[in-house]
Amino acid sequence: MDISIMKEMFPVLLQGSLLTIELTIISVILGTLIGIVTALLKLSKNKLMAGVAGFYTWIFRGTPMLLQLIAFYYVLPFVGVLLSPFQTAIIGLSLNSGAYMAEIIRGGILSVDKGQFEACKSLGFTYFDTMKRVVLPQTFKIIIPSVGNEFITMLKDTSLVSTITMSEVMRKAQILSASTFRPMEAFFIAGCLYLFMTTIFTTVFSHYEKKLSVY
Amino acid sequence: MYMIETKNLTKKFGKLTVFEGLNVTVKKGEVLVIIGPSGSGKSTFLRCLNHLEVPNDGEVFIEGEKIDIKNKKHMRNTIEKVGMVFQNFNLFHHMTVMQNVIEAPITVKHETREEVLERSKIIIDKVGLKEKVDEYPSKLSGGQKQRVAIARSLAMRPDIMLFDEPTSSLDPELVGEVLGVMKDLAKEGMTMVVVTHEMGFAKDVADRVIFMDGGKIVEEGTPEELFMAPKERRTREFLNKVL
Repeated sequence: MDISIMKEMFPVLLQGSLLTIELTIISVILGTLIGIVTALLKLSKNKLMAGVAGFYTWIFRGTPMLLQLIAFYYVLPFVGVLLSPFQTAIIGLSLNSGAYMAEIIRGGILSVDKGQFEACKSLGFTYFDTMKRVVLPQTFKIIIPSVGNEFITMLKDTSLVSTITMSEVMRKAQILSASTFRPMEAFFIAGCLYLFMTTIFTTVFSHYEKKLSVY
Repeated sequence: MYMIETKNLTKKFGKLTVFEGLNVTVKKGEVLVIIGPSGSGKSTFLRCLNHLEVPNDGEVFIEGEKIDIKNKKHMRNTIEKVGMVFQNFNLFHHMTVMQNVIEAPITVKHETREEVLERSKIIIDKVGLKEKVDEYPSKLSGGQKQRVAIARSLAMRPDIMLFDEPTSSLDPELVGEVLGVMKDLAKEGMTMVVVTHEMGFAKDVADRVIFMDGGKIVEEGTPEELFMAPKERRTREFLNKVL
């Protein structure tokens, strides 16, 4: 490996990892919101809504994300929907993440003690307040390890958006390796950057896990 | 007007009829204690009073207002007047003692934090947990948890308190502190319905005792009548076992 080439490559790849982080954070946040709504719909007594939510998770967990991204990017223009690569990436990643988060959150809600719901009901809470004030905060503690896991999976899966022309770390590494004929250096740095990012997020999540273990 | 009135109250779980056609009334300031063997339907009956269990038939009136499950808002407003204390406490695990107590008045009644805080301090003091206001429930003993649960209900300023075997999951040495708080409440004139196995409490505090068995009210009367001179054979058998 040639250090001077690596020095030249590093800033380019670092820039790519900023995009990776941006994509990961935005899509996990949107995915969490989608996941909460989907989980509540799946648990609701309304059969139609539960069915729609079930269909959504069935589709997005049952097909490869690569296929979903390609579908959004190459197929939607045929029906008149034109999206930029960034928009496509965010929509694709968020919808995919949402489907997985929905199942994580649903499991979390189901494992909240039934007595919590009864206490809320006896105190006159609305369904919305019960969820917002009592059930979801407790769900959050239960699911935080799984959310951390989902976050890291998502961070690595953002590499798939390289197929729809987004220049995140992976695509930058491919371009650099092709233009310099130095694949070793390019992918070594990319790998280190991925490890660095996942380590940071793992640390952040275990910090939260500790913080929430006070109760 | 009765504080609580049930008319023809019936509850079934699938094919199993827990009880059928129960008519019970509770007057203002009255302490009604319900005793009976496990599976007699007493807890289910209590849980029907605030519709934690929705009865299959019959009606419940709280201070003359019928609990109507079709009108959710009206139902919540009616249930709000009825505090409930559970066997397993059901404190909000993610909140401190103080947060547990102030939560419902702020969220449900939209009172300001300041006025609820002031009132809650007095209530927490009353149940003897002044030093524990900032602890999480996981750091409390069972007796302390149950006293917080009582305080949480009282913060809503209920007119009626329901107790569902409040001491059944406590270590024996912790039962007294919870019963003490309940006795104080009774003295202050709170209308109470208590399902319990604590016969001592029933004798000392109850105005009226109901003995339930097999989903039926076998006998009811003052503690003197029921404990000293039970009329029914089944009541006598039960009392012989537990006393």
